[in-house]
Amino acid sequence: MITRGMNTTGLGLGLMVLALLWLCPGGLSAEPMTDRQAARHVLDRLGFGPGPGEVDRVAEMGWEAWVRQQMASREIDNDKTNKYVLEHFPSLAMTMEQVWAEYYPRYENEPPTQEEIKNRNKLRYDLNKELTGSVIYRAVYSERRFEEVMAEFWRNHFNIDQGKDQVQYLAAHYEQAVIRKYMFGDFADMLMASARHPAMLIYLDNDVSQKPLSDREQRMLVRFENKKYQPRSVMALGRQRGLNENYARELMELHTLGVANENRKGGYTQRDVTELARLLTGWTAGRSGDSMMGGGDGYGFRFRESVHDDEPKRVLGMSFRGNEGEAGGVRFIKALAEHKQTARFISTKLCRYLVCDDPPTELIDEVAQVFEDTDGDLAAVYEAILFSDAFMDSANYRAKFRTPFEFVVASLRATNAHMTSFNGTREALRRMGQPVYGCVDPTGYSDTAEAWLDPGVLVYRWDFALRLAQGKVGGVKVPGTFWKDMPKDDPAKLKQALAEALLAEGTQTEGWDTIESALGKKPEPKQAAGMVLGSPMFQEQ
Amino acid sequence: MATTRREFIKQTGTIALGAAGVGALGPKTVFGAAGGATPSKPTVVVLYLRGGSDPLSALIPYGDRTYYNLRPTIAVPAPSGENPRAGVIALNDYFGFHPSMAGLARLYKKGLMAPIVNAGSTHPTRSHFDAQDFMERAAPGVKSVTEGWLNRYLYMTKTGDDSDLRAVSFQPVLPRSLRGQYPALAVPDKDAQSAASVFAGLYGCDDAKQTAKSQEGPDADKPADKESPTTGRGRIIEAGAQGIARLNRLNEVLNDGKNKSAVDYPKTTLGGQFRDIAKLIKADAGLEVAAIDYNGWDHHAMQGGSYGVFQQMMGNVSNTIEAFVDDLGSKIDRTVVLTMSEFGRTARENGNSGSDHGHGGYMLAVGGPVNGGRFYGKWTGLSSRSLYEGRDMPVYTDFRDVFAEVLAGLYGFQADDHQFFPEYDANDKPMGLIKT
Repeated sequence: MITRGMNTTGLGLGLMVLALLWLCPGGLSAEPMTDRQAARHVLDRLGFGPGPGEVDRVAEMGWEAWVRQQMASREIDNDKTNKYVLEHFPSLAMTMEQVWAEYYPRYENEPPTQEEIKNRNKLRYDLNKELTGSVIYRAVYSERRFEEVMAEFWRNHFNIDQGKDQVQYLAAHYEQAVIRKYMFGDFADMLMASARHPAMLIYLDNDVSQKPLSDREQRMLVRFENKKYQPRSVMALGRQRGLNENYARELMELHTLGVANENRKGGYTQRDVTELARLLTGWTAGRSGDSMMGGGDGYGFRFRESVHDDEPKRVLGMSFRGNEGEAGGVRFIKALAEHKQTARFISTKLCRYLVCDDPPTELIDEVAQVFEDTDGDLAAVYEAILFSDAFMDSANYRAKFRTPFEFVVASLRATNAHMTSFNGTREALRRMGQPVYGCVDPTGYSDTAEAWLDPGVLVYRWDFALRLAQGKVGGVKVPGTFWKDMPKDDPAKLKQALAEALLAEGTQTEGWDTIESALGKKPEPKQAAGMVLGSPMFQEQ
Repeated sequence: MATTRREFIKQTGTIALGAAGVGALGPKTVFGAAGGATPSKPTVVVLYLRGGSDPLSALIPYGDRTYYNLRPTIAVPAPSGENPRAGVIALNDYFGFHPSMAGLARLYKKGLMAPIVNAGSTHPTRSHFDAQDFMERAAPGVKSVTEGWLNRYLYMTKTGDDSDLRAVSFQPVLPRSLRGQYPALAVPDKDAQSAASVFAGLYGCDDAKQTAKSQEGPDADKPADKESPTTGRGRIIEAGAQGIARLNRLNEVLNDGKNKSAVDYPKTTLGGQFRDIAKLIKADAGLEVAAIDYNGWDHHAMQGGSYGVFQQMMGNVSNTIEAFVDDLGSKIDRTVVLTMSEFGRTARENGNSGSDHGHGGYMLAVGGPVNGGRFYGKWTGLSSRSLYEGRDMPVYTDFRDVFAEVLAGLYGFQADDHQFFPEYDANDKPMGLIKT
């Protein structure tokens, strides 16, 4: 294991930097965090960074009290946030049926007019804006800070991409009904909700996964190839894609068990993946009254018996007779949620997110045990992490590299920014490579430094930092109150005020000397604020 | 837990790190380009046609009746005297290029260009993101590999003397093939770049310009020569410093009047990207790998035949590459452009005058080192028996065979010796795509 403590590293042209090790410590640090450090630590990790005056407040009340308050999030008044969301992002409160009706108007003409097409495209874009806007708004302004931090975790764990097919129309509902609904509840419930949500089924292609063609059907296809006329039934066969293993694989690899490892107990094989895909054939989405999908009211999950593979199957040692229909899949997903390896996989990811990039095994052991003992009660699991020795170990203070999302939200919070539109921020995140609900990979965005620390990407952070301070991010304004104690004719006072406003430990912040000298003799307040936001120190949490 | 970058490199790269330095490069390596100590290596430009570009619209089997039966509304007519611009450009009595590919056809006839038919992934997925991932990481079906194949190559062969501009992508976010541990440069747009100069002091390169210049001299003392910092703060600062130094160097080259292009590129994003790449190559700036994404090839509807979306996009590719070859002059002898796409499309057109996700696709190789003027790959026709699952073009050439030949031919890098591609059975019979 790497030794812990302070390292002196010479860099570039004479720049000396004291830096904490990125990796987690093997043991506990001798020096505990100061009260202010502890306050900043919990605000950073559990609240996307402190706003003005917040470090003082939390240091005053004690970090533990603040964390307990956030854990009991339902008791935190959130009316203001909810009201704003309802007013500005109405699709967040709609059923999927309503979203289709409102945002996907039927074409009255055949073929549709340019006007109709344009209108539909606009509405689709509006939907995108509402969802991404709501995510950014809540992360910056919600009083339920820890909820937002965990929402971001689960969005990435159960990733969907609004760029794929019709996912756009379903993602807002997914955010509410899958991510937010269960993030302080039971993991098993969230898993099941995701598995039955049209957004996930479409994103990972399970909606088109059907039992493979029989030999007879295959022969029909061949018989009619190259024929001008094809019976409808044969054309339908041609469109059928057969089995699609996409969701089955990710359900085990990314959502529950982790990557298959033949040597590890509980590992699964390609055969398990295929069998699971067969078990889940027919899990799809349908509209009201669609007889092919077995009828049903409102747009939503459907079990389509006619494409379900009803042969016997065996997945991860569990047997399915084949006549269980939908219940077979339900039984298996419940078993996945209870699997020992799932407890470990989810616990590891949570520790990495909340504590450090390479969390110690002992911590993971403890947390996984709580996960198992409580059948995946997520609130209990979070608590086990937040009140562990490792979480408050001073070696983990500022040990994470902020993701673009964390950086952007922390900047907006630190400057007490007012937002009237989310377009500029949304675009900034896209350029930094982390568009909201736009991760193409089913893995979701990584939260480790390794994933984000590329030379080119930092340039966009700097650009955002400068533009934010100068009021040049679309729809965002740093209010006058932020600048009021930052006189441009008193450099010493200005620097002091900036350090206090943006760096929690003020001029005591490790590395402040570097910033101080880079700001120069007579800094201009806005440029100086941008530089602090873009500094290496502000990229850490 | 997913294998991290480092673990993967550990598994596959440790042997290579020592062995694959400059000394291990192939016969093509030439040292001592004018005015610098930087060895000028050949350049590979990877152009990714994102979305699943249609092979049957690019490399057209016009000699096969079945092609016309399968595609009643989107087939391109056989070559004829009546309207030569609407018909297939015949290259033999069976195959021809799409009419928009006149530039590429000229390069083909000069022996500078070669198409590869029925090329693609051994993995059957028809999902864009899986197929793109698998191809760009060159690891079909292996999700634990998270680094791009170009990045892995760069990392395994890196030396202390690497040019700041060894790997560049002229787009804001790196394509997946270039993501990984090796610090490749994604070039931010001009607006964002101006921010970089403000941060030079904070990221330990106050004299960023001077740093960039000093690297050309023999006494270069750049951060990369030192051991990389392992600490958090140190790594942030290093990444920032690298970004600034690289951008400065890049702009120096791009703005230098003597690298100006004498030829006209299409006035498209793609044209501009290739023009900038040509500048770096002409300036001997040490560019070894460039990668470009060209989005929008998922033509499920209204794909067009002789005219339409495909024609416009492919025309852009063809005209851009022809201009690029002209622009490079003799430098084309050490440059290869390779196009690829995640999969091909259905042989039969769908009900919307388009085509759906398929399996086998195509690749194009252009450049002096290419044994051009001929088709590569195996072709078994279009009957449903020869199609994959009765509907798609089959894959007979693993895209990794092509990658491996390019790396071996240009850089003497033997992918199989380095277990470079996980779970890959090297092709015993090389295609001979690259001249040796």
